[in-house]
Amino acid sequence: MMSYSSGGLFNPAYHDSDTLEMDRRSTNKPQHTNPYPRQDPGWRNEREHTHYSSAPQPSSDGIRGQAPSGGWQEESWRGRERIPMSFISTGPGSPSWQHDLNHSTLQILPDSQYDRSPAVRLPSTASGNMTMRWRGTTLRRMSMFPSTDPAYQAFTEDAIRDEMENEEQKLVQELVAQSTGDGIRAIRDLPVSFREKKHIRSQVLAFKSAEKSHHFTCLAECSKRVSSSFRRLGYSVNSTKQTLELWQGVMKEIGGKFGTSVLSYFVILRWLLMFNVLSFLVNFCFITIPMLVHNLSPNIPTNVSFRGLELLTGAGYFTYTTMYYGGYSNETLGHLVQYDMQLSYFFTIAVYMVLCGIILILSMASSFKRNYVLADPVSNSAWQLLCSWDFSITNERAVKQRKNNLRVQLKESLSEKAQGEQLTLSEKLKKLGVHLGSWLLSTSLAAGCAAGIYYLCQYEEERTTDDANQSLLEEAKTLLVPFVVSVMNLVVPLFYSLFNKFELYSSQRKQIYALVVRNVLLKMSVLAVLCYYWMNVVAKKFSCWESVVGQALYRLVIFDFFFLLLGSFFGEFLSNVIGTRLIRRLGVPEFDVARNVLELIYAQTLAWIGIYFAPLLPVIQIVKFFILFYLKKVSLTQNCQPPRRSGRAAQMQTIFIALLFFPCFVGALSMVAYTAWSLTPSEQCGPFRGLNNTFSVVGVWIDDLQETDDHDWAVWIYQNIIRSEIFYFFVTLIIMIVIYIFWQITRGRKQLISQLRQQIVNEGKDKSFLLDKLQNLQKCQPKKKHKQKNHKKHTEQRPHDSSPNGQPHSNAMVQALLARQRLEEEEGRRTSRVSVPSDISSSSSLAQAMLARQRAEASERGEFFSTTGFSEIPLNTSNAVTQPMQDRRRAGEYRADEADGLSSSVSSVMMQVMQARQRAEEEDRFQWAAAPQGNSASAGSSALIQAMLARQQAQNEFDDGY
Amino acid sequence: MGNKQTIFTAQQLDAYQDCTYFTRKEILRLFYRYRDLAPQLVPLDYTSHPDVKLPYELIGSMPELKDNPFRQRIAEVFSEDGEGNMTLDDFLDMFSVLSEMAPRDLKAYYAFKIYDFNNDDFICKSDLEKTLNKLTRNELTEDEVRMVCEKVIDEADLDNDGRLSLEDFQHMIVRAPDFLSTFHIRI
Repeated sequence: MMSYSSGGLFNPAYHDSDTLEMDRRSTNKPQHTNPYPRQDPGWRNEREHTHYSSAPQPSSDGIRGQAPSGGWQEESWRGRERIPMSFISTGPGSPSWQHDLNHSTLQILPDSQYDRSPAVRLPSTASGNMTMRWRGTTLRRMSMFPSTDPAYQAFTEDAIRDEMENEEQKLVQELVAQSTGDGIRAIRDLPVSFREKKHIRSQVLAFKSAEKSHHFTCLAECSKRVSSSFRRLGYSVNSTKQTLELWQGVMKEIGGKFGTSVLSYFVILRWLLMFNVLSFLVNFCFITIPMLVHNLSPNIPTNVSFRGLELLTGAGYFTYTTMYYGGYSNETLGHLVQYDMQLSYFFTIAVYMVLCGIILILSMASSFKRNYVLADPVSNSAWQLLCSWDFSITNERAVKQRKNNLRVQLKESLSEKAQGEQLTLSEKLKKLGVHLGSWLLSTSLAAGCAAGIYYLCQYEEERTTDDANQSLLEEAKTLLVPFVVSVMNLVVPLFYSLFNKFELYSSQRKQIYALVVRNVLLKMSVLAVLCYYWMNVVAKKFSCWESVVGQALYRLVIFDFFFLLLGSFFGEFLSNVIGTRLIRRLGVPEFDVARNVLELIYAQTLAWIGIYFAPLLPVIQIVKFFILFYLKKVSLTQNCQPPRRSGRAAQMQTIFIALLFFPCFVGALSMVAYTAWSLTPSEQCGPFRGLNNTFSVVGVWIDDLQETDDHDWAVWIYQNIIRSEIFYFFVTLIIMIVIYIFWQITRGRKQLISQLRQQIVNEGKDKSFLLDKLQNLQKCQPKKKHKQKNHKKHTEQRPHDSSPNGQPHSNAMVQALLARQRLEEEEGRRTSRVSVPSDISSSSSLAQAMLARQRAEASERGEFFSTTGFSEIPLNTSNAVTQPMQDRRRAGEYRADEADGLSSSVSSVMMQVMQARQRAEEEDRFQWAAAPQGNSASAGSSALIQAMLARQQAQNEFDDGY
Repeated sequence: MGNKQTIFTAQQLDAYQDCTYFTRKEILRLFYRYRDLAPQLVPLDYTSHPDVKLPYELIGSMPELKDNPFRQRIAEVFSEDGEGNMTLDDFLDMFSVLSEMAPRDLKAYYAFKIYDFNNDDFICKSDLEKTLNKLTRNELTEDEVRMVCEKVIDEADLDNDGRLSLEDFQHMIVRAPDFLSTFHIRI
């Protein structure tokens, strides 16, 4: 509220005037840092001290009272409101001024002001966190004063410096109140230069150690050492994490050449690789190693040998290894330590799935929070111009290309705007028809693929037997299904891309979404058919059906890999050759991030489904992704150019993670869960042979526990929680209630957001309204000036003054008039030295009137004491004369204001009066600094104290002169 | 390791780690990058806080910056003298803000400063024109430049003062999630 309401006086239009002939030293504002270079800490402390001691009690209490205790966000928010207040209330500390001020006017008028413009009353939006605010306020203050008008710089700087120091002190206190880690983090986030950060850090640390030294020194020392060593430990952990991070250099290279959107493909690839490494580690440690320790050589029938084709089919020799479900035993292993294979298999898979789910949900949620919640599709060119430039690009060619693309995009968006969106009905119908047609076609294509796969599976099922010893040809025939599936995955998306060219989507994003949805539909329907086939046909036919499913998945993974290689060969290499050699029109192909990421997602889905049937499938997946990374990198750098349209990569990434969760992970999870709960494990092989379903392994285990009576709690949990419907019923109920509540809260927040937006707009309107008023006032100015020049010497102007403003409320009016009178009397005596005031534009004539009165009294007193003194110091006099002139003119302006009925343009009288006073004090200081005895020693202190000192000096000098 | 110890004292390293988003290793790496720009100027011993400044010409020739259309602005904004001449502290500060770890608000603040060519704490039309010319190699006509600038202001200026304040800019950044990943220079 403060910052806004000060807008009237702080407004650039006002300061463009050069009426006030103050110190015109032009000060260069350094941009990055605090414009006021720090002086030595001793001085700083002294400043702090004087500030506190000179301030009147209530306000300094306000400052002190707020730093400690929790809830600092709230605290500092209020603190910000308080800053200007305390700043103001230090003003009356100077006793000689106090009686001049009419406090009642100061307090009443702002209220009446606000009543007229209700929007102003709302507090301005609180922006983000504490640290930003700290800088934000000062920045805003500074921004009120464009650097082009040096006349106000001196004053502003002092005011701002004062405020900044206040805020810095407060900031340090806030930081001290936090724990060391939080404090350090907050310091890091400060938008100030490194030197300042270091300074604040040292202050905070000093404060902390000082605080601690009050307590037991030994304890403090210990805790300090512990906390710092913890910090160092954290840093070293971070640093190890960075070292372990894969492919950093490659990532930098890709990002530098192709930008962030292409890089996101590789980021996802790396992320998925990590998933697989995790699942491999879990499976290998808890399932495979115990198995291998128990029985190193797989019990392979003698007539089966390694023939080489196994690498493709995964069948034959591999069937009997620990690669598949069938290779594991159901015994309790070990003699010294009991290791129940059944339990470990079940729980390892379960824990891995739950872990994956949690990781996915967390990353999805954080990604949504970051990228989607407030994403706004409307602001397009602003985004394109100011946010889309990729700073990570370091390649000259890429920079050129990007610039070209940006230009094309901007032109497009302009022409779109020019074209307008007027479509005739027939055009609309045609567009709709095309959309409908392509959706129908793509859906039926997906359905056709699914049906084809189903019949193919049936055909294969009739042919295959449950014979362990297949001939080579028979084994090779099993490759048919994965081959067809992979071909479909490669070819059908090309058709989809073709459809996409015919459809005209209004935005690129819709186009990508349509493409993604169709592709996902295709892949998921194919997988769903396969799963159905495995669950319903394979599970009944084969004696060791889990291994058969595992083999089928193995083949799918392997073929997917080959087709990925082929895809990047044909898709990228060939089209590059065609584009550069044969048909130049096509040009170098772009790297299609969406298509490539969808392929990754599909591959990962296969791995997830396979985790139960083939626990070591992640090994294949790791190798696959590893090779794929380098392959894609080479293919990218050799064949591709960055995508022409840099869509919003972050949002796409969110979508991809969401897709990975649903339908892929959820689908895989439900498939595995269905297998574990409902299907009968095969009788002949695997860890769960002889059980009704996989899950009953837990029941058996609990029964065992019950017999031994050791773990009552586990039994109790199993019987009363895991197996009780009521528990799940209540959990569901509670979750639903919580969801409902959060939903309502979200709705409320949405309303709040729209209200706040409206408020910002309102404030903007207020601002422009006030600016208009000011400009009107400025226009009125020349007339008045003329008038005043005419009547400069005549004190009889007074009745003319008072005639238009007969309003009862203006207590200040009277004062202003008095002030005027006095000024004019003075002027009468000094006209010879008057320098003609140039154009001024004031927003707050009331404030100026108050100021005028004070000035008048001050100079009158001066006059009274030293009528002779003035001739000795002409510089002062001319200044002093200028000032009353301005005051007078402002008073006149106030009158004009009243007469025109424009009084509402005064935004915050209170604030302005204070500012005016400050300025007055400021002027005092400059006057006396210019005088022979100018006390330059105290330069750099706050304006207020300076001004007070200056005043005293001034009076002393007057006395001397007398 | 012994070599590393002589460059910075432990306290200096702590301060660097506390005030930037870098780990010790990265700080040392950045130091070597800084030193490689001018081995004869930068001493290998920073324990006595030598007052070394590298001129903008050297900073701007880094591979990370040399093709960036905003390199001069970046250097100016992050240097303490405002002319692009950087001390090691400025250098670290710059890459810290441009690193992956820096929060959005901090990045937005400095991006705002970078786009604010005339340092008046507002992104006004002239700033936008300069940005646009830098980004499109002066290939748009004047009319187009004007239209784009108007559109940008129209879209992002919440309080209708005809220019973008820091708040306007931050507001826009919040709705443009890509910014976090694009305002990022990998070291």
